[in-house]
Amino acid sequence: DGGEALPAPQNLSVHSANMKHLLMWSPVVLPRETVYYSVEYQGEYESLYTSHIWIPSKWCSPIEDAECDVSDDITATVPYNLRVRAILGSQTSAWSILEQPFNRNSTILTPPGMEVSRNGFHLVIELEDLGPQFEFLVVYWRRELDTKEHAKVLRRGGIPVHLETMEPGAPYCVKAQAQVKAIGRNSAFSQAECVEVQGEALPL
Amino acid sequence: EFRFGPCRVEGVALPGLWEAFRTVKDAVQVQDNNTSIRLLRCEVLQNVSDSESCHLVHDLLKFYLNTVFKHYYPKIAESNTQPSFSTLANNFVFIVSKLQSSQAGEMPPDKDRARRRFLLFKRAFKQLEIQAALTKAFGEVDILLTWMGKFYQL
Amino acid sequence: HMAEDSPGLLQHVKFQSSNFENILTWDSKPESIPGTVYSVDYKTYGKPEWLAKAGCQRITRKSCNLTVETGNFTEFYYARVTAISSEGWSATKMTERFHPQQHTTIKPPDVTCVPKVRSIQMIVHPTLTPMYNADGHQLTLEEVFQDLFYHLELHVNHTYQMHLEGKQREYEFSDLTPDTEFLGSIVISVPTRLKESAPYVCRVKTLPDRTWT
Repeated sequence: DGGEALPAPQNLSVHSANMKHLLMWSPVVLPRETVYYSVEYQGEYESLYTSHIWIPSKWCSPIEDAECDVSDDITATVPYNLRVRAILGSQTSAWSILEQPFNRNSTILTPPGMEVSRNGFHLVIELEDLGPQFEFLVVYWRRELDTKEHAKVLRRGGIPVHLETMEPGAPYCVKAQAQVKAIGRNSAFSQAECVEVQGEALPL
Repeated sequence: EFRFGPCRVEGVALPGLWEAFRTVKDAVQVQDNNTSIRLLRCEVLQNVSDSESCHLVHDLLKFYLNTVFKHYYPKIAESNTQPSFSTLANNFVFIVSKLQSSQAGEMPPDKDRARRRFLLFKRAFKQLEIQAALTKAFGEVDILLTWMGKFYQL
Repeated sequence: HMAEDSPGLLQHVKFQSSNFENILTWDSKPESIPGTVYSVDYKTYGKPEWLAKAGCQRITRKSCNLTVETGNFTEFYYARVTAISSEGWSATKMTERFHPQQHTTIKPPDVTCVPKVRSIQMIVHPTLTPMYNADGHQLTLEEVFQDLFYHLELHVNHTYQMHLEGKQREYEFSDLTPDTEFLGSIVISVPTRLKESAPYVCRVKTLPDRTWT
């Protein structure tokens, strides 16, 4: 250790999809050494009213990877400053600050993964579990001349749920959209998936 | 979303604010030894019309940001509840920013009534010693959230 | 707080509330100190006076029902207990600020599950609270929590579920297979308060289909 300053992490960026916000940076590589990192954040309140205040990230103070899930730190739809520094033993580098503040309303919302199936005459859907901040708008219809769309809101994914009781003679199609109230935004609709029930109609 | 009369605020999850305050509530309220004084009294928050509500919530949240949160912060740092405090404060910043942008077409009478309610609160705050006032006001965030909840729709 | 002579005399003074039944409870260490008597006061936050709770003065039990005295669900309350031992030790402790609407837990709903041949009807009965409005009308949970709704699930042979939800009281899961057992689960949800009751569960079997016999 020639007394050289520990280099600060470079190339900070945030990758955010479906409300999972990942702060990433180029690792500080030192031969035969394990470098740790410490991440801190500051919301618009702190930068406006108490700009000297930075709050340690919930999961990354410290951390060994060159990335940090800051989803639990970003809890308001305002710009957040993020910074990271390297730690080696008692040595710490200078802070590197994310160039552009991050706002969670910029997260990429992808159409939810879904599995459409039938159980007897029941049309069943299972949506991807994207966490507690997500609800889903499910639209379904019987594909025939006068197609009438039906809609249902599902409060969570990860469990197969009945949508409709089908009648033979035409396929039933389903598409779904993810909704995030915390930022007031929705994803695009998924591709429609269709299933059909064979045989005679349900005995009355 | 919140609907304070003409002012709509999307992008805030009220349950999250409750969760954040619950973390700091007991530590703060136990420091408020004066149980005979309530700043956010009925005269301030009861029977607020929709059209008044936007002005009143704007004034109250601005006061909380500029005065209560700002000067109470050292105690928050001591009690190691910064993340919860940050959640509350940053969501209040967001709400105020949205209220400001939608306060078009202000109706003077409503603004005046709201202003009088807010001054009742502020006067009561000023009558207390500053640290006691800050502690009491911060401890009354649940009263504020309860009132704001009346204008919240899922 | 009054000067505390004996800390073990009085501990954990708090409200236990469910469906707005607000019970003040406390402990002592050791478990019981013979001859100790307890007196309860309560007050509305923001009001100057403490009021003695009739029926809980110089009692030996360690609980006191303050449902009536804390019956305005929009108000905030405090209660305090004073313990006096036979040797003259005394201790007084106060609760945290208590807000019934925020602190009460919600019990499972009362539901009647009615099996039919190809459907199951579920009737949710209103949950009355011990509170009354100015006209003397007894309030239900629905009237206290404006965003309250019911969430109903029917579990179909462990593979999938049927969901219904809403504010109304009557629901029907239809297009079911006759003579088959289902598991129903119904909860009360108040999302803005992060409140959800434990589920009411009913195991019910659809009736056999005798149309062709």
